[in-house]
Parts: sequence; structure tokens; C-alpha cells
Amino acid sequence: MKKFLSLLLALAMILSLAACGSSGSETPAAGEQPAEATAAPAASGVEEGLLRAAALYDIKTMDVAQTTDDYMVPMNIFDRLFEVEVQADGTSQIVPSLVEDYSVSDGGLTYSFTLREGVVFSNGSALTASDVQYTFERLLTAGGVNDDIPLEVLGAEALKAGETDTLEGFTVTDDYNFSITLANANAGFIAELTGPAMSIVDAETMAEVSDFGMSCEDTIGSGPYKVTEWVKNDHFTLEYNELYWGEEPSVKKAVVYIIPDASTQNLMFQNGELDIIDLDYLDSSIVESTYKTTYAQQMVSCPRVGLTYMALNANNQYLSDVNVRKAVQMAIDVDTIIASIFAGDAIKENGIIPQGVWGFNEALERPAFDPAAAKQLLLDSGYAEGEVSFELAMDTSASSNLQLVYQMVQQYLKEAGMTVEIKSYDESSWLALRQSGEMDSFLATWTMDYNDPANIMYTFFGSPEKTLIRSLNYADTAVMERVAAASGITDDAERMAEYQALEEKIVVEDAAWVPLYANTHLFAVSDRVESFVPYWAGYSNFYAADVTLK
Amino acid sequence: MRDEQEEILTMQMDSPEDVLGEADTLKDQLKRMARQNKLAVISAVVILLFVLGAIFAPVLTPYEFDQQDVINRLAPPSAEHLLGTDELGRDVLTRLLYGSRISLLVGVVPTVISMLAGAVLGICAGYIGGKTDVIIMRLADIMLAFPSMLLAMVIMYTLGDGLINIFLALALVSWASVARIVRAETLKLKESVFVEAAKSLGVSRLKIMCRHIFPNCLPSMIVLFTLNIPSAILSESSLSFLGIGIKYPQASWGLMVNLGRQFLYTKPWLSLAPSIAIMLVVLAFNFLGDGLRDVLDPHLKDQ
Amino acid sequence: MLLNIGKRVLQALVVLIGVALLIFIMLRIVPGNAIITMMGEHANPEAIERMTAELGLDKPFYVQFYTYITGALRGDFGTSYSLHVSVSSLIAQAFPNTVCLALAAAVVAWLIGIVCGIIAAIKENSLLDRLFMGFSLFGVSMPVFMVAMVLQYLFAYKLGWFGISGVSDWRGFVLPAIALGWNSAGSIARLTRSTLVEVLQEDYIDTARAKGRRRMGVILFHALRNSMLPVITMMAVQLSSLLSGAVICETIFSINGIGRLAVDAISGRDIPLLQGTILLSTALVILGNLVADCLYSVLDPRVRKGD
Repeated sequence: MKKFLSLLLALAMILSLAACGSSGSETPAAGEQPAEATAAPAASGVEEGLLRAAALYDIKTMDVAQTTDDYMVPMNIFDRLFEVEVQADGTSQIVPSLVEDYSVSDGGLTYSFTLREGVVFSNGSALTASDVQYTFERLLTAGGVNDDIPLEVLGAEALKAGETDTLEGFTVTDDYNFSITLANANAGFIAELTGPAMSIVDAETMAEVSDFGMSCEDTIGSGPYKVTEWVKNDHFTLEYNELYWGEEPSVKKAVVYIIPDASTQNLMFQNGELDIIDLDYLDSSIVESTYKTTYAQQMVSCPRVGLTYMALNANNQYLSDVNVRKAVQMAIDVDTIIASIFAGDAIKENGIIPQGVWGFNEALERPAFDPAAAKQLLLDSGYAEGEVSFELAMDTSASSNLQLVYQMVQQYLKEAGMTVEIKSYDESSWLALRQSGEMDSFLATWTMDYNDPANIMYTFFGSPEKTLIRSLNYADTAVMERVAAASGITDDAERMAEYQALEEKIVVEDAAWVPLYANTHLFAVSDRVESFVPYWAGYSNFYAADVTLK
Repeated sequence: MRDEQEEILTMQMDSPEDVLGEADTLKDQLKRMARQNKLAVISAVVILLFVLGAIFAPVLTPYEFDQQDVINRLAPPSAEHLLGTDELGRDVLTRLLYGSRISLLVGVVPTVISMLAGAVLGICAGYIGGKTDVIIMRLADIMLAFPSMLLAMVIMYTLGDGLINIFLALALVSWASVARIVRAETLKLKESVFVEAAKSLGVSRLKIMCRHIFPNCLPSMIVLFTLNIPSAILSESSLSFLGIGIKYPQASWGLMVNLGRQFLYTKPWLSLAPSIAIMLVVLAFNFLGDGLRDVLDPHLKDQ
Repeated sequence: MLLNIGKRVLQALVVLIGVALLIFIMLRIVPGNAIITMMGEHANPEAIERMTAELGLDKPFYVQFYTYITGALRGDFGTSYSLHVSVSSLIAQAFPNTVCLALAAAVVAWLIGIVCGIIAAIKENSLLDRLFMGFSLFGVSMPVFMVAMVLQYLFAYKLGWFGISGVSDWRGFVLPAIALGWNSAGSIARLTRSTLVEVLQEDYIDTARAKGRRRMGVILFHALRNSMLPVITMMAVQLSSLLSGAVICETIFSINGIGRLAVDAISGRDIPLLQGTILLSTALVILGNLVADCLYSVLDPRVRKGD
């Protein structure tokens, strides 16, 4: 009996060791064919042409109809009609991609396009005008979240409502020619087509597959890569698409590991386990002490075309008073935030339209930082010290840097005589509260989807509904009507002047927007990387084809 | 952790005849421990120091616990800031002192709640028996089946963040093991001569439970109490480390480790100071609990 | 004996159903915006309504529970709100990692714990004994995250012996397993010591010694064997705390395991995923205890006689 017991013990131990050994090596494969080693230890050599990157969160889908932020896979496996190309001097420019030629007529209402010939999807199906038509119609009818842009096409509302089966404003002439007629003229239309949301999908493939966006085999695009593996919560793999029409990229394969923690990513990079790291989520002191010293030659910086702002809800008892909002604007010391939290790697923003966006107003001035004046203004407006109180809602999934800015803002407002309580919400509760229009105030960062002021102006101040779901509750309907109408002005200079006038009215006169800063987006690359050009707007997502390996 | 303690305790309570009739009073037993076990005494002193630090935090430090000095952020330890400053230039020692308030409260409050609940339920289950026993013990089985961390996470998810909810979550997690142990004791006591005697004299059930059973469960409950406090502190720090539980502006040690973690390799004091504080307090409670067990536990006393 | 085992299996089933019901209730009383989580902030009201009906969230509670339980028995735990794939596929990926981590940690805990326990017991009341027992209390008192961070710093970052994260091969399990096993090693050492000390005083040990066997041999072959029963039972109990600690280890070492899934589920307010991960971990603990119970009744002569 006793012998039996000790045998059993020994057996259990051996079994447990064996189990670890075997399933340890099987784990990354997770049911698919054996995958290449994930997160190879530093010592072993790295496969040629392989780029190893990390993301903090797994993507939810690869279908742009279902997401407004999981763009990493769509950017790389699909093409757009136009792309934004970053020039050597850092400026960006819209260039045709799938489109070979286009013309505008009819007072800016009708666009005629000619597609590049010979483009095929990664399964061999040809990319034709009907695929573009299908892409537009699908965004409207699939019940997705990215229908802002196709909604501008004539007849889009009717299609979306199910009144018709076809998109009236979209005419296919032949396989390579089509035209789009807009409901209202919009000078920013071409810029809008560069956004990842406008990735072109294949109508024929879509008719056959059942799990587009979720299954790798079903998610077929025409871009330089195809997605070959997606192990949820672990990693996804992009591999070069042999049928790609453009130049063959230097990166043949990119693996993006899901590492939900910035400090682990930091260690992995330093341990040689990553080729590219997004430094946005690391504290600037680590960037200063480690990256700007040891990896000084391997840093890549990119201006963020967008800005971090503070939103004030005009429905709040105190924030409805323009003087309180002005006091908030004056109370926050943006320069110190930039100098301390970002170690200088940020620029101060004064308006709604950020630097680097077409129509940016350099002359716009914000009220200077002046806590004493802010305090006085509150007293003059009849508020006792500490009487003005509201909640500052924080999304706990925000970067640690933004969480620090929250605490600094709270401190500044306290010094100006306001009582502000920071309340933490998890991401979905935070979004739900904001969408209800009842969030008192919050900080957030907006990064441009396409380079046109319409993008940010319309999103925040385009209609009572738009301002409600951002919890701004801006009250001036006349201004909102002008914002909505501005995109129809065909003369560029006139259109930009209108946006700037509106911006000044909202920020300076109404103090309905507290601009803060745009922090430079810093990356570091390993010594295997020759060069890296981040996405023009400073996304964390990037084109793997824009990385050149040594 | 709760399970091991339970295991150890139940194993050591096999000899019912020793439970009663001890001439030693609690005071004598403690005195003996103080003489024999120096470590336990040192531990008690350490705990006392932490408690005093928590109470007199405002007097002990010239800084406010949320006083920012961003220009001087992440400063290394110096004469002005003995443990340096954190990512907003707040004094780390100050935050540690104020954080000990939360960590100690989190150790004590849920443990008291769970001890009381566990004792009441355990005595009822053991003494009344029958259906009451079955229901209470099945419920305890269910609670004990959960890995404690995961159970606490679900409860926090349901209740939402905040100190009070942490109290509730940790109490809910630990009452069941208390109830089991107290029930086992009760079953032994139930058979004892003086309970039989009380019964035959017609003393009411409630009175027997309060007057005779409960006091006799006290020694093992005191041991359990000192051993459950550190596990509550560890649970809270783990939860806060994961970002579940205590939220800004409150600062518990676990949360401080969580925030300081990214600086572990450049500014180690930020995460190590609170980690060591957690370890010291937990260690002190464990040593004290160990010492108490040696003198209060009848089984070990035989040896 | 069979009857006894049957009774225990039945009891375990009752507990499992109770556990499922408890999780179900706890997760349903949250004032939820589960659908918004699932569909994103831009979803329109009709789509939300459609999805609510599709998921059966408009049905009465008991119907939902019945649907869930029958689904779970078929291996269907629903669809993750945040990751949009079936919970069972996520768990299938994560489960082997967690099981391996827990087993490896158990081996670590066992090795360290038993060796220290034996030495301490042999040299009872010596300086070495006190040192080991003090040390084991240290082990129990160190937060898992502290051990994990220090190991990661020393052996992965400074010395580069192991990867910082991931478990692509067995090497990836080494540091997390030590970090996780550390805690349990302390309590196993203490238990081994106390039971061994007791067994060493039994008569048959003296008999064996009288027969001229060497002291070391006696200890290893007689005493240790007999003192293993409580340690086995404890291992089953330890499974629960190993799974608790795994949550932390998986987070620090970025291991795609059950614990990390649960943490992700909480931050993503993903009820089906949270429900699935907790239910499965708890089922594992129940199973572990059941096996230990059965082993105990098979192996312990006293219990067998009692039948």
C-alpha cells in the first residue's frame, strides 16, 4: 500500500512535468498548424524579414464596418482609393492608391474615378468598380459603426433606411470606371477616402464567406499583407501577400503580440524581444533615462495630428456659466503639464483644429494661464470659494500619462477655487456615461481620421446630437448649423476662414472647449530596423510596409 | 491562504478533551507567549508601530498626501523626501503612511465581519444541526470552492470599486472557512459534560450558544483572526495591483506598487517601498499568529 | 468505499451547480450596459434591441440560467462581449497555459517545501529548523507580485536567462512557476515538518531503527511516506490558491491564461467571459478536491476501516 502511494506520487510529478513540456510547446499553435515561436527569448536568432511588435489590447475585429479604432489589420491588409503619404520633410500629402485618375464636376457634387487595372485580392479575385460600390453600400447596410462617409453620398439615407436596394449616387460605368454624386458638396471628400474606414473589400468574396472580420481565411483584402493567424489575446500575424500589386515591402511577416502592460513591453524591447515599441504609454522619465540615452539613434518621433482636450458639459449647473468655463480655461497651466509629464515632447494647442491639420489657425490665442484671475472671475460671478464643483470622469484604460494629467488638472482647478472630484470608470461605463450626455467633464485625445478640419469640427460641434454624445451639450444651434454647412463651401480659402471663425467663437467667446496639448508620438525600433515611418496622424497603428528592415 | 490555515487549524484540533477546563486564563497564556517567543513580541511591536504611523500620519509628515510638486517629480530619496517622490512629485513616505490606514483597515474590518458572521453561522450549524447545518455548510462549500482571488474579483465587479466594497468582498470571501472551523469546535463542545449539564438544567439553546459555546471557541478564533488579517491585506494588495478595488484618489499599498511598477528598473523605491511595507506587516501578523497558536492551541500545547 | 466516493461525487455536483448559480446571480445584478460594450458606443437603438433579443437578455432569469447551464454542459459558454468570439475557444487557448503554470508551480512548491520540511523535521529545534521555518513564513508573507517582479528583473532583465514574457516553450514557465510556487512552498514546508515530526515519534519508526536501518533511510522510506497524506490533501487545497496567484503571475509575465482572461473580462465588462473563466477555475478546484478526497479514502487505512 505504502509503496503504491509513493509510486503514485512519483507518477503524478512526472506526469505534471510531461504535461508542461508538451503542451508548453503546443500552446502558441492553439489548434492551428504549429506556429513560429512566439516572443522568442533574446538569445535565439530572429527570422529574416520578421517584424515583432506589441499592442496593449487585442483587436475586436478586422472589419472596419464594426470598429472605429481597431485599424492595425485593416490598414495593412486592405487598400484605400487614396492614401496619405508622409514626405521627407514631415508634411503629408494625399496620393492616389487604387485610383489612377479622378475628376470633380457639377459644382463639387460629382466625382468620377478611374481604378488602377490589374489589382487583385489575395484570393485572386479582381478588384473592380463594383467592389467599391459594394464597400460603400455595405458600410451603410451592415448595421456597422463607420457610415459617416458613405452617408454623404446621394441616396445614402434611403438605402440605410431600407427604402431602396441601391445607392442612388453611386454609378458604375464599367469595371474600372465609376462616379459618386454627393448629396451636398464637400471639399474634404477625397481626404475622407484616405481613412482606414474606407478600406475596399471584395464583393465576390463577401458573398461566399461567413465570418469576415473574425476568421483569417475569410478576411480577404488587396493590401500588401494578408492576415494568417489570429490567436485571441495572444498575437496576430500578417504575412506578405504575394499577389500585391505594389512594391514588395521589406517586412515579409509581422507579428503583433498582445502585451497588456506597457512596462512589460518596455522590458521586452530592451531584452531584444520586440522590434518596435510604442512609447506613448510609458512615462516620460523612462523615455528620457532609457530611450533617449541607450536608444537615442533608434527613436522615431511623429507629430500627433490631433489634440488632448478637456470637455465641459454645458448642462452642468456650474459649467453652464460661460464665466466658469473661462475660469477653467485660465486655471490650467498647460506649459507645466508639457514640461513635467511629457518632458517637453508636446506642443500646446490653442484651438479645436490641431497643428498639422489643414486650416490650423496659428494666430488663435487662448486666455493666458492666470490662476488669480480665474479665482477672481469666479468670485466676481458670485461663486464662493470652493462652491463650483463638478466631476471629472476618468477612463481607467487611459494611458498612465493622461491619468497624471487628470490629477494635475484637478490640482489646478482646486488652486483656482473649484472643487473637482476625479471619478474612475472602466472603459465601457465611461463611454456609456459620455454618450448619455451626462458626464460633467473629462479629458480625451482626438486623433484625426483624415486631414480636414471638418473631421474634428463636425464630430464635436456638427449637430445637437453630436455634441450630446460627446457630453458637451453645446447650446448654440446657429453655430452648429454653420459647422454642418461649412463642408459645402467649395472655395477652400472661404471654407477655412469659416471654420476658423467658428473655432474662435466656440473656444474664445463661448469657452466651450478647453484645448490642452498634442504630445509627440514617440516610437523606438530595434537595431534590426533600418527606417520606420509612422502613420501620418500619429496613430499607434502603422503600415508594416513603412518599416524597412536591415 | 485561508485554506491552508484552515487545514492546519482543523488538523490541530483533534483532541476535544483539552479544549475545556484549562486553568490558564487568556492573560496567563499571553504572558507565557511573551516570555517564550521573542519574535511574536517583536511582531506585535512592529504592528503597533504601523498602527501608530497610520493614526499619526498627519503629525509625522510635513506633506499632504496629495500635495503635488510636478517639477520635482520622481526625485530619488533625499533629506526632504526620505523615500523620494512619485510621478506627480508627491512624497512617497507620506503616501505610504496614509496608505497604511487603508491597508490596515482592509486587514481588520473585513476580518472582523467575517469572524462574526462565520462564528454565528458556524455555531448555529454545529449546534442546531439538521437542515440549518446542511444549508449553511453547503453554502460554505460553495464559497470555498472558488479560488479566493477570482471570487473577490467577481464580487468587486458586481459591487463596483471603493473601500466599503473591498471590505464586503473580502468578508464574503473569508467567512466560510471561519464557519467551518467554528462548527467543528461546536460539534466537539456540544458533547462536553458541561453543555450536557446545562441542557439538563433546561438552559435555553441561545444561552448555551452564547454563554458556553462561543467563549470556548474564542482561543482558536483569536488565532484565526491574526492569521486572516494578513491574508486580507495580501488579497487587497493583489486586487489593487490588478487595478481592481481601490481607485484614485485613495492610495493603498497595492495600488502604489501597481503605479510604481513601470519604474521598477529606474526608480525602484516607488514599488519596493510599498511592497516591503506589505511584507513587513503580513510577516508580523503571521509571526504573531504563530506565537498565539503555540500558546492558545490546545493540541500543540501537549507537546 | 464506492458508496462513499459516489456520495462525494454527488456532493461535488451540488456544489458546482451552486457555484454556477451564484456566479450567474452576481453577474446579472450589475446594472449593465453589456450590449453597449459589445456593440461599441456608436450602436443605434434598434440594433441594441435586436441584440438584446438575440442574446435572450429580455427573457426571465430562470430561462436565462437554464439556457446557460444546458449550453455550458455542451461546452458552449456563450460569446465574449468584448472579443466577439466564443468563450469556449478563448478558454481552450488559455486553459493549457494556466494548467501548466499551476502544475509547474505545484512541482516547485512541492520540491522546495518537502525538502525544507524534511530537513527542518530531522534537525528539529536546531538553528537550521528555525531558519527554515522563519524563511517559510517569509515565503507566505511575500505578495506574489513582489516575487514575480523581482524574479523578472533579476533573471529575465538583468541576466537575460529567460524571456520577459510569453510561454512559447518550457523556459517561459520557469519564472512564473517559481513566483507562484514560492507562497505554497512555505506552507508545505511547515506542514511537512509538523507531520513528519509527529510520525518520527511513532513506534514503528523505532522498530525500523532497531532493525538497524540507517536513520536517513528510515526517514525517507517510512516516515515520509506516512506523512504524505496531509500533504496530498493540502495540494488539492493549494490548487485554489495557485489559481488565485496565477491571475497575478499571468498578468506580470503576459501569459495568455485563465487568470488574465478574467482580468481582461473585468476591465472589458465582459460577462460571458468572466462567467466562463470563473466557472471553469472553480470546477477545477472542485475536481481537485474530489480527487484528493477519493485518494484519501483509498489510501488511508483508517478511513478505509471506518467504512
